[in-house]
Amino acid sequence: MPDHNPLSWISSSFPELSNIQTLGVGGQKLVYSAEHASEGDVVLKIIHPSQDPEAVRREILAVQQIATIRVPRILAVGRVDTPIGSCIWIREQRIIGVTLRERLQRGPLSIDELFRFGAQVLEALADAEKANIVHRDVKPENIMVDTNGDHWLLDFGISRHLSMTPITPAAHAFGKFTPGYAPPEQFRNIQNEIDARADLFAYGVTFYESATGRHPFQYGAPNQLEVLRRVENDIVPQLSLPCSASSSLTDLVSALTQRRRDHRPSTVAAARLWFQDIVAAK
Amino acid sequence: MELYLQLGYGMMSLSRALIREWGSGTVILSPRDLDGAQLESMSTSVNRLPSGRVMVDPQFYLPHADHAGLVSHDFWPKSYSTGSFFAGPALVKLVSDLRELNITLGTSVAILPGLLAQKVNSDWLATQDAILEEARAAGFGRPLCQTIALSAEACRVEAQVSILLEHVERAKADAYYLICEHPNGRYLVDDPSWVANVIDIAAGLRLSGGQVIVGYCNHQMLIAATAKANAIASGTWLNVRSFPPEKFQNQDDTKRKAVWYYSPASLSEYKLAFLDIARSVGVLNLLAPPLGAEPAAAALFAGGQPSAIDLSEPEAFRHYLTSLKRQVDDSVKDTFDATVSTHAALLDEAEAVLTAVRAQGIRGQLRDFWDALASNRAALAAITATRGAILRREWNRL
Repeated sequence: MPDHNPLSWISSSFPELSNIQTLGVGGQKLVYSAEHASEGDVVLKIIHPSQDPEAVRREILAVQQIATIRVPRILAVGRVDTPIGSCIWIREQRIIGVTLRERLQRGPLSIDELFRFGAQVLEALADAEKANIVHRDVKPENIMVDTNGDHWLLDFGISRHLSMTPITPAAHAFGKFTPGYAPPEQFRNIQNEIDARADLFAYGVTFYESATGRHPFQYGAPNQLEVLRRVENDIVPQLSLPCSASSSLTDLVSALTQRRRDHRPSTVAAARLWFQDIVAAK
Repeated sequence: MELYLQLGYGMMSLSRALIREWGSGTVILSPRDLDGAQLESMSTSVNRLPSGRVMVDPQFYLPHADHAGLVSHDFWPKSYSTGSFFAGPALVKLVSDLRELNITLGTSVAILPGLLAQKVNSDWLATQDAILEEARAAGFGRPLCQTIALSAEACRVEAQVSILLEHVERAKADAYYLICEHPNGRYLVDDPSWVANVIDIAAGLRLSGGQVIVGYCNHQMLIAATAKANAIASGTWLNVRSFPPEKFQNQDDTKRKAVWYYSPASLSEYKLAFLDIARSVGVLNLLAPPLGAEPAAAALFAGGQPSAIDLSEPEAFRHYLTSLKRQVDDSVKDTFDATVSTHAALLDEAEAVLTAVRAQGIRGQLRDFWDALASNRAALAAITATRGAILRREWNRL
């Protein structure tokens, strides 16, 4: 990929795209928005293999995994072709909206927003569970809120198909994770213990943060080691919400954020049913 | 939660009498204490009682055990090799013999043999799986109850508890017979981690869908109600109210001839000489049993000197078990929170009584619940924090 004028190179390499705009430039990939001739708004991700072969391998694997999920809420992914030149590209449906992180900068979610977020992200995780995929990085940055107020789970970049060989070597002291959202079995990289319950932990933390505007482990922590220490030793405080379901939601979040995974609901499906019962009873 | 009768030495007639009196009941037969003929006669007589049920504990905790009573049974292997036993015909024969024994005795549930785990590791788990698999293949014709026998250390270490429960999720039995060695041989356990982990295991097993019988219990395990355990099993002598693995070695039973009175209010037991002092210092009534207690036990509080009443050992045992039955019957409530509150109230009452009598020098010695109060309270807090939310939700489905 030519470094001097990537937009020009993309236009010529992807003639079906128009109105190409730069969305972000990371260490491993370039991300553009564009309009596709038949698919409408899309995101194009371009990965440079020579920068980090492991990252590319991971991304390809992730795309192959996600491509097995044909369900709502998880973005459809484009074809994975052989590299164009030295690049790999991925085209995804583009969600117009803001990340949940951006939304939370305006304050905690309202009760209605909270229930909507809760139901829709659990739905996405339940679909991933059915496909035997663990997202492993559920957090506000990876959840989009579209202009209709619907929530979309993004970025399966460090996800794992449970029947596939782990990408992160087991010998690593730490796996891929985001401190404060990853449960102990994930940041300790105990690979045979990472299953959908890891996503439930991160979802529970995100739910608490969305409800209160405050992260239960990160708030006031001087560094990431302190965050990890809190995840292993602290419990998520009780929720106090202005709705009749407050204590029920407190119970659910408490169960989801248990340090030991055998103390959490055994499946996302079970957690989703629990949430649906709370919604029905409110 | 039910109280099952954990048979030990000299419990046959008492068990039959109690089941008749209670209108129902389950005994867990002990091959260590009963020969083949006694097993059959006991099971026949219990099965004839209304709602009487029998189970038999193979007591295969220590395959090298050489207790004469145990090795006299046909099912007990003549030789045992650690490396090959569970992967060959020896296991097939053991399971087959136990299948026959369960059929002969008319058991309601088949308790499978299980080794005592010094540590929950892959070898032990593989052995558990092999036994369960062989039993399924043998076709017992009744629910299979997997023995989970754990050393005190295995119970104390949270990581091992977690490994066990994770494994059970993948290899489920119909029911579990949970046997936990007490730390340091203590009758009442003052280690909060041990108590918390035991009820955590019970709760985890229940939530996995299995029935749970906690074996070799004393009244401290009333707390198992908060895990919605289906039953605790207890008996007369201390060696069936806690799990001392050494009792399955060929040792002479040491019978302590002192008679102990169980005070349900204080969750403690007292030698009659201490009741005499309690009377002298004016706190005897605090230790009295509730109305409707066994007449022989109630007589201790009728006005005379307790030790002059001549409470016999069988009467003391009977009083213990009838009192424990009442407490067990009252232990589980309609909700998790109410059940926790009930146990907390039991501890509060015990503390109040113990505070008063201890101030006067009255002690239950090694059967005094004082040091166990904090352990049970801590365990209540732990199960509420870790499993409370799920138990609250699942309570009525368990």
